Amino acid sequence: MAARTEHEVLATELRWTIAVVASVALISLAILWAGLVHFINPPSNLETIDPTKVHLSPEFTEANLGTRVDEGGRVTTRIVTAQFAFIPPCVVVPADEPVTLRLVSPDVIHGVLVTGTNVNTMVVPGYVSQVHTVFQKTGDLLMPCHEYCGIGHSQMWSTVRVVPKAEFKPGPDGRALCEKP
Amino acid sequence: MSEDVFREIDRPWRLWASAIVVGVLAFGCLSGFVILPVIQGYQAGIDPYTAICRSLGILPGSPAARQPVSTAPAAPVSQVSWGPSLIARLNKPDAARGQEIAASVCAACHGEKGLTADPAQFPNMAGQSAFAIYKQLHDYKSGARANEIMQPVVADLTDEQMADVAAHFAALQQARWEQTWVRAASPQVETIVRTGDSARGLPACESCHNPRSGGPIETPVLFAQTKEYLALQMQAFKSGSRKNDLYRRMRSISEKLTDSEIDQLAQYYFEQR
Ligand code: HEC
Ligand code: HEC
Ligand SMILES: [Cu+2]
Repeated sequence: MAARTEHEVLATELRWTIAVVASVALISLAILWAGLVHFINPPSNLETIDPTKVHLSPEFTEANLGTRVDEGGRVTTRIVTAQFAFIPPCVVVPADEPVTLRLVSPDVIHGVLVTGTNVNTMVVPGYVSQVHTVFQKTGDLLMPCHEYCGIGHSQMWSTVRVVPKAEFKPGPDGRALCEKP
Repeated sequence: MSEDVFREIDRPWRLWASAIVVGVLAFGCLSGFVILPVIQGYQAGIDPYTAICRSLGILPGSPAARQPVSTAPAAPVSQVSWGPSLIARLNKPDAARGQEIAASVCAACHGEKGLTADPAQFPNMAGQSAFAIYKQLHDYKSGARANEIMQPVVADLTDEQMADVAAHFAALQQARWEQTWVRAASPQVETIVRTGDSARGLPACESCHNPRSGGPIETPVLFAQTKEYLALQMQAFKSGSRKNDLYRRMRSISEKLTDSEIDQLAQYYFEQR
């Protein structure tokens, strides 16, 4: 319908202004909500690593991946996200305790989220992605790759096994492994 | 209507629009630099002033807490690292030297033209990816891949010689994958090859092994490889007796395959020629 009078033009402009302002407000509130209620915020840790040498690095050497408890009792889970798998394919973590996830990619950009938790980050080659979290629900949580990384992307997923504190039993070297289901 | 009249109608409108833009900006700054950092900082035990400074980038945001340290020793499964100079060398090899090494050292087992002298024992080399050949030679030399026959063969080769001979074999009989596909005997195998199996977390073989798929650079070509060798390697990955694949790629995949699937997959790739 063509606007005939100046008044109609104004009315249309006003309606659209309201629609735009409302959308912007809604999105801002959603961001605030995510940040304040779900504790989702951008990563604050900036740490680089040579992507062609991830497998040569001591920290991300195959035998050091997965969950490890250090002398201070801090729980750290190290994961390599590579086309088209998470290594290791299953990690075990204790519930109700701070856990630090450290992720690296040797090839392309991957994305990681743990369903039902606030863990959600991109894993960019060249950087260590680090997430601090506390898992509250126990059980096997799905951790899929959520950034298209190649033809095998849809088969790229892994498991985060959250066990009650009492059942979390790291070995003498501090390493905790997923037992086969 | 004249220009002046329009301007008069527009005036309040312009004012309001500017006010809205400024308002949205202010709200954005307030939530991004004050509300979010202060409340999130409070939960993380950071005082409001520090939290605001960190959100503005005046104070470093990291590390908020002591970073976890790792005292693990490096135990790489392979020493190969795909740096730019290595890739350049493989793309620009010394062809004559590659040819010479192939003829004098490798031909006895892998054939003059890269086609095996005995399919039950030796794999084909012709048309294999230069990156794959180089990686395997390097792994034999460093001991990352154990084999009584190949390890002494490569012991005296330099990195450059390995790159040259790898590129030589790669250049023989290229583009085999242009040829028509032979369908697998069973639809399950066809599915594993083409689309993978999400329930088992099994990516399609072709997502890496197709030379045009953009998978890992060291992925070998499987087409027309001998079926004995293909099956043997998958079994070796499965049992862990071969473990030079970076990031456990082939070990995790082979562990999920049944023996019958391994045989059928080997047969399938052998038939693609
Ligand atoms: C005495 C026989 C013999 C000679 C000579 C020989 N090879 Fe081999 N080669 C083998 C055998 C046997 C294997 C399979 C080893 C295994 O199962 O790990 C093999 C495996 C390989 C592989 C691994 C293939 C793959 O796809 O995994 C490469 C690459 C290779 N040889 C390259 C060479 C090159 C290059 C030369 C010459 C410098 C050479 N070989 C000389 C017997 C030989
Ligand atoms: C995530 C990528 C990826 C997928 C998916 C994949 N492969 Fe591999 N495959 C590799 C890489 C990389 C190597 C070389 C490993 C190394 O560095 O030694 C390899 C090696 C192999 C080898 C040994 C060949 C040789 O010449 O040494 C066989 C056999 C094989 N793959 C079969 C398969 C089959 C069958 C499938 C499907 C079920 C499959 N692969 C899926 C990446 C992959
Ligand atoms: Cu991915």
